[in-house]
Amino acid sequence: MMKFDLIRGTALVAALVAGVATVRPAAAQELVFLSTQLRPVDEAQKVRDVLLKGAPKTVYVVDEPSPFTVRMKAETESGKRTISLVGALHGELQPLAPLGALDTIDDVAAKLGDRGIPASLMELGKLGTGKQVYIPWMQATYVMVVNKKALAHLPAGANVETLTYKQLADWGKALAEKTGSRRIGFPAGPKGLFPRFLQGNLYPSYTGSMVTEFRSAEAETMWNDFKALWTTVNPNASSYDFMQEPLMGGEVWVAWDHIARVKDALQAAPNDYIVVAPPAGPKGRSYMPVIAGLAITKGAPDRAGAAAVIEHLTKPGTQVLTAAEVGFFPVVNATLPADLSPGVKLLAEGIAKTQTAKDAVVALLPVGLGDKGGEFNKVYLDTFQRIVLRNEPVRATLDAQAEVMRGIINGVKAPCWAPDKASDGPCPVK
Amino acid sequence: MTRSGRFLLWSGIVALCAWVLVPIYLIGVGAFGGRAAAFRWPKGILPVNTSLDQILVFLRIEGVANAAMNSLIAAGLTMLFSLLLGAPAGYALARFSFRGADAFRLMVLLTRAFPLAILALPLTVIFIKTGLYDTPLGVSLVHTALALPFATLVTAGLFQGIPREFEEAAWVFGCTRFQAIRKVVLPLALPGLAASAVFAFVISWNEVFAASVLTVRERTLTAYLLTVLSESPIHYRFAGGFILIVPSIVFIFAVRRYLFALWGVTSR
Repeated sequence: MMKFDLIRGTALVAALVAGVATVRPAAAQELVFLSTQLRPVDEAQKVRDVLLKGAPKTVYVVDEPSPFTVRMKAETESGKRTISLVGALHGELQPLAPLGALDTIDDVAAKLGDRGIPASLMELGKLGTGKQVYIPWMQATYVMVVNKKALAHLPAGANVETLTYKQLADWGKALAEKTGSRRIGFPAGPKGLFPRFLQGNLYPSYTGSMVTEFRSAEAETMWNDFKALWTTVNPNASSYDFMQEPLMGGEVWVAWDHIARVKDALQAAPNDYIVVAPPAGPKGRSYMPVIAGLAITKGAPDRAGAAAVIEHLTKPGTQVLTAAEVGFFPVVNATLPADLSPGVKLLAEGIAKTQTAKDAVVALLPVGLGDKGGEFNKVYLDTFQRIVLRNEPVRATLDAQAEVMRGIINGVKAPCWAPDKASDGPCPVK
Repeated sequence: MTRSGRFLLWSGIVALCAWVLVPIYLIGVGAFGGRAAAFRWPKGILPVNTSLDQILVFLRIEGVANAAMNSLIAAGLTMLFSLLLGAPAGYALARFSFRGADAFRLMVLLTRAFPLAILALPLTVIFIKTGLYDTPLGVSLVHTALALPFATLVTAGLFQGIPREFEEAAWVFGCTRFQAIRKVVLPLALPGLAASAVFAFVISWNEVFAASVLTVRERTLTAYLLTVLSESPIHYRFAGGFILIVPSIVFIFAVRRYLFALWGVTSR
């Protein structure tokens, strides 16, 4: 009989469970905020407890980019919406616009006129449609972190705030000669963001383009210059993932990386470092902003609530809190308070210098590549490895890699993105 | 048994136990050891400055309790559905020879042949239209589809192992077909049914992708935590990992008697 108890027990539990499952009341129309950003548990909790305080009651849910896209597509296709507000990177929102998943929010944008969001960022939020699709939410970027000890060896005539790639190479050489070891570092390890440097900083600074001019004469010059620069880069660079470790260890004095990946070093010893804009090339000082935006879904269950949350999150006060709590920076005109932790303050200054540089050029994260993003990155990394590490001829390598790049871009039919000029079909690789 | 034989036996037992228990123990130590302990290297064997802080922080995260409840509901329903559908199918495969039985055996595996990632979009659209979206019931239906091949094939083997003569004897004594199944076959098959129930439970408990695509607010615990754990500080990962494995362990302990019986160890 004992054995029958299991069957009965299981059946009973299952019946109870089924009962509970069916009698749960359908949740009232509540405001669901789905985000691909601020996912780690501690950050998500800060969003709920701190950043959304004072906003209409919101359910904050996070998703990884791939389920996020599936969900948005499915809700659009079926025409029933659960989610009112979405927060995601520029590149994640872009493919949703042509599907009709996102509502135009010119009315919300109009109310935010006094926030002082730079016009260039608002323009990005239109996704090329002429109507506001998302409101910039917060931003990050890639900067250079310089140990103050390195400043003494700066080449004559060079200003650390307005460095060029040529001067960086000279500086690296001087550092290597004077200190006996190579002190420039890039995160070229397996999980490092080095491809972003090539795409967002190096290429556009030399060629004014990320894709179209991939194999141009300017690109040839660029690779030859960079090859020279690389002789002054720390040989361990190919194992660096986050630059904060080699910076803290003193192995590297001048490093390029994403602000989130140098934050620990700056917070541990804020007095040892300065943060500056990345170097400039012949075509300007290119940088890659990482922009997260807030958008309202078409047919949102609670559009007014979503608009109110956007207003709340773009308030200068909330933006400052965002910087202090999770290390993403304001898109609005907000003065960061003096009591901001010194490390975060350094980062904020670095971002400001990068954006307001006179010769600044904006290079966007690759857009519309879908799951080919990894392969796209590999083209840059392979080119780098072949030319710089394996010493293969520049022209032949560029021609071969351009062919691979063409294949990827044509495969996904991705039109050009900044700094390349808009294209009708897939972005051409000249 | 010779001396060396006994030594081999016991060292084998110890190695196998360690294989399972040491990682669980280390997760436990990390979960209760506080932030400093999580970063300490080499790891101590004994827990130091134990505290409930991380676990409590974890449990206080908004929605964890609800997600745990959803996980239990989804896993419970998956268990129920896969047994209700799988056991009769298994019985039919074992007792009757019908045209297409072999094809059926193969076809039932096909539910596992398509990656969920491909099915996700159409599935989600249908679920939204039918109102199953964002309910534990909907999640359990998908999980049942995943668990069904195991349930069917395991129970088929099980019923095959129970001699047909037992049933025939029951009929001789006046049982109807269903009475014979209930009074003779089921008690003998119980350990095996428990095993396939455990499979179904574990499959549902561990599945992340369907659970996270098909739900928004009513996430299962795995979908709610697992996707964000890998991006969280290491001491949180220990706490989250601990919370995720505890229910499975408790459940398997609860049904261990039936599992042992299945493996031929006398149930006590």
